Amino acid sequence: MGAFEYRQAQEIRDAFARHGVRYLFIGKSGAILLGYPDTTQDADLFVERSPENGRALVTALKELGFPLSAEESSEIQRGKDFVQIRSGPFDLDLVFAPDGIKRFEDAWKRRVDVEGFPVCHPDDIIRSKAAANRVKDRESLPRLRAFRDYWMSRRGPEGEKE
Amino acid sequence: MSADPEGAARRQWLEDFEAAARRPLDVRMKYAFIHTYKPVLDDGAFRAFETMADYRTWCERNLPSWLGYGRF
Repeated sequence: MGAFEYRQAQEIRDAFARHGVRYLFIGKSGAILLGYPDTTQDADLFVERSPENGRALVTALKELGFPLSAEESSEIQRGKDFVQIRSGPFDLDLVFAPDGIKRFEDAWKRRVDVEGFPVCHPDDIIRSKAAANRVKDRESLPRLRAFRDYWMSRRGPEGEKE
Repeated sequence: MSADPEGAARRQWLEDFEAAARRPLDVRMKYAFIHTYKPVLDDGAFRAFETMADYRTWCERNLPSWLGYGRF
């Protein structure tokens, strides 16, 4: 398994758009898309939980080369809170109910578009990491919060730099 | 040694952010996504958890603590 590549992010974006999947990049992968300099292994996607979106998601994942069994497809379609896939062309975490974010729709309204990639607002990324309260999150949050302030200062109040 | 280690760290972060902002997205991603084997976590092809609490508990019970997935 190689590292997740820009080309694969584009493939996600394009396949999900073709099938109308509603999702957001979240976690450190989302922060990296926003410009946060750090390293990570996998792509984390916050996916809207609905029957239609679940079906579209499974179709898009299969098209991307994820070898999902009928049972695995069913679990994704149901929208279990957290799904981790390590059998596809790249490592992927699907999060249907991230800690600290009550509704997908709220995060969707606050989303940031980065070259066509829908990304959670840094405040939502921070909120979810703070709520998860893991050792690795606690260690990374001060730097991530500093990045959020930097990003906001560049973006301006109206988001004119996005 | 810096008299203000916290301030020095913040200045370094700011330099990192500025440098990253100058790189195009594809280059940022090339340097950011690195595949590093994580024991146990990477040994299963597929896992699904009914709730986030189930996932967090599984991590704490099964992953080596040094991976940092344990909660405070």
